[in-house]
Amino acid sequence: MLIERSSAWQEAFIERLENREQWDSWTLYKMSYDISKNNLITDFKGLQSLKYLPNVTPLAHQLEVAERVIEEMNGKAILADEVGLGKTIEAGLILKEYLIRGLVKKALILVPASLANQWVEELQLKFHIPAMLYRKNFDLDYLDVVVMSMDTAKRSPHKEKIYAQDYDLIIVDEAHKLKNHKTISYTFVQNLKKKFCLLLTATPIQNDVFELFYLITLLKQGHLGSYETFKSTFSANKRDVEQDSFLNELVNQVMVRNRRQDTGIEWTNRQVQVIPVEFTDKEREAYELISGLKDVSSVFSGAFSTITLQREMCSSQEATLGTLKKLSADCRSTDEIAYVNEVIQQLGNLSVHSKAEKAVDLIIKANDKVILFTEYRATQMYLCEYFHSKGISSVLFNGKLSKNSREWIKHLFKQNAQVLIATESGAEGINLQFCHHVINYDLPWNPMKLEQRIGRVHRLGQEHDVHIYNLAIQDTIEDHILGVLQGKIEVFEKVVGQLDDILKTTKKSEEDVHVSATNPRISKTILQ
Amino acid sequence: MYPQQIHGYLRQFFNENNCPIVNGNEHYMTVQLTVEMDKKIMNRPFYWRYIESVNETPNPAQITLITNIQQLNEGVKGEVVHLGSPRLHQLFQVTKDMGSYVKMYEQLQTRQGEQAVLTPWLSVNYKISFRSQQTKEALHSLGINLMTGAVFQEFQGKLNNLNLAMEPPENVFNLPYIITPVRALDRLDAVIDRIVGEEDRNWAVESKKRWQKDQAVLDYFYEGQDVKPECYEIEKQAMEERFKPRITIEIVNGGLFYLRN
Repeated sequence: MLIERSSAWQEAFIERLENREQWDSWTLYKMSYDISKNNLITDFKGLQSLKYLPNVTPLAHQLEVAERVIEEMNGKAILADEVGLGKTIEAGLILKEYLIRGLVKKALILVPASLANQWVEELQLKFHIPAMLYRKNFDLDYLDVVVMSMDTAKRSPHKEKIYAQDYDLIIVDEAHKLKNHKTISYTFVQNLKKKFCLLLTATPIQNDVFELFYLITLLKQGHLGSYETFKSTFSANKRDVEQDSFLNELVNQVMVRNRRQDTGIEWTNRQVQVIPVEFTDKEREAYELISGLKDVSSVFSGAFSTITLQREMCSSQEATLGTLKKLSADCRSTDEIAYVNEVIQQLGNLSVHSKAEKAVDLIIKANDKVILFTEYRATQMYLCEYFHSKGISSVLFNGKLSKNSREWIKHLFKQNAQVLIATESGAEGINLQFCHHVINYDLPWNPMKLEQRIGRVHRLGQEHDVHIYNLAIQDTIEDHILGVLQGKIEVFEKVVGQLDDILKTTKKSEEDVHVSATNPRISKTILQ
Repeated sequence: MYPQQIHGYLRQFFNENNCPIVNGNEHYMTVQLTVEMDKKIMNRPFYWRYIESVNETPNPAQITLITNIQQLNEGVKGEVVHLGSPRLHQLFQVTKDMGSYVKMYEQLQTRQGEQAVLTPWLSVNYKISFRSQQTKEALHSLGINLMTGAVFQEFQGKLNNLNLAMEPPENVFNLPYIITPVRALDRLDAVIDRIVGEEDRNWAVESKKRWQKDQAVLDYFYEGQDVKPECYEIEKQAMEERFKPRITIEIVNGGLFYLRN
């Protein structure tokens, strides 16, 4: 057994025996002994940190997570609680515990730039951990607990500075961003030494089960075997129940996931509705023209550009026009140009988008604060203008806003405006419990994005049932998206565990079932 | 530590360091720091360098520490101090630094013409940490008689009951030690090693099991690869740091004591 001791005390003791230094006070000597005795960690198990944190009252599930991660998982885990259950608190508790127990001296916390300040504040104010926000030219030798944006950390010269340090604990927030093993971020984290490591994400699977494979492999190489064996055992087309439960068990050894309903806290309900929207005849015509573009010109023949245009057409004329004009610059033949121009003209003739009208109906009916999510900046602008013409006040929120502007927009929304129109990139890290209506104006391909969106309002502190309206235009690409979303949710639930309602309606709510039932096509897609 | 314990600790700490408490009740205190204490805890080296270079009258700070914010209704402004707050942690550290080495004499009443004898002792308080992926600590207070070499445990408890002072009492003869303090310290170190050796080792066995299990998973992942990539070595290293059982022996404080037998 390795025994470490220092001779420093002995040397200074000899100095005093030889009368070169003064002796200390007996009172302070006794006090020092008492402090050591009072603060002694007498057990391997249990959390010491709580008595050091009188200002934090962790919830039962957060304490369980912290204890399980430290005692059973050896400090290496994916913290995958649903959005809004306090993963930051859990990570803070674990970090604090390790600091108190002396097992961690240096910790690195990698986060999206937009969340960096929030992390520093929470660690300092709630946990009394002297965390610092990294700035260029800071000397990492002198920073024991440092918060850094992933985008900065993965680049030179910061990357090299980090590798030169010896971190005991690595925390990665929003770790689903590491799902792709070919990215620089992934390689960067892969090559960090991970004595202890916490990966935080509410959405460990976004699209397919391989994302989880790579995330777990990043945390603990070999836990799910090699890629080849994993692929042959768990590939999507020949999975069975037995294998699913085996995989589920393996995953649970390195991942903790609390669901809202497991927390013992009274949660308000989610009322999820799919709101079918009908195109007008003219809109339908324009949609068909756009779908036909691929047969007319090679510029549009890529499946991706057609789908993009179709989705944009389901959102707003403005979004469609933007992409159309950009692509049409590549058109050469007069036939192509004529066709594209016809489409553009057709779009110009359209009046208010049917979806926008529907959105206004919903907002008026809600008669309350509403968050509306769209995938497109052009739609964002369009809706803002249209809402204004209808006497509805709105503010815009997107990923380009600085921290101060974000706070200001949030404040405006709370105090003045009825609607917050946000793009995807705005959905991260803002908390808006004072609002309980969410309109998903456009649907993303990824169900976890929907979960993140809903998580902005359905979190601790929400007092009302949360109403979620998923808008989908009938007989368009959006039907297909609904189907894909449902498929991905099924994979997630088999491997990771249940998800709170995102798409489907709760059984209790007959009214909602009724809404879906009026549209047999869509209800089939959702419920199959 | 409860608020009242912390309050008591702070009061004692500042009294001992000649920092007068100028205001307060049982829930807060305003303390006038001395120059020395200001330098130790206020973290303003530039101020002190300036004052000393221009020879100006120093103006050490006053600080207000609140030990029980719930009980406070007078609108007192100050730092809230509780277990885990950086300020208290800092004062603990200062206490440790300023209370590491003592030389003390037991005080006795002697009758006229009588001569008493005091025996030298070395006492050392050890803190042992057992570490792997988890940790536990133990405190051992040992005392060794520098005349006979007899060793006693729980020595601090015995010392706390005695009337000790930094100066020897009058008419008392202090025996010169036979075992030098440095040799005695070696002996206590050996005693601590024996105590540590007798501790339950299950925690270390358990850690090694976990270590082997994780190492097996990692090796399986790279099975058949003769030249293993860098991240294999990194992970192997991380595993060793995580699981390898080790024991740290630290001396909290210690001193020379002249005691009546």
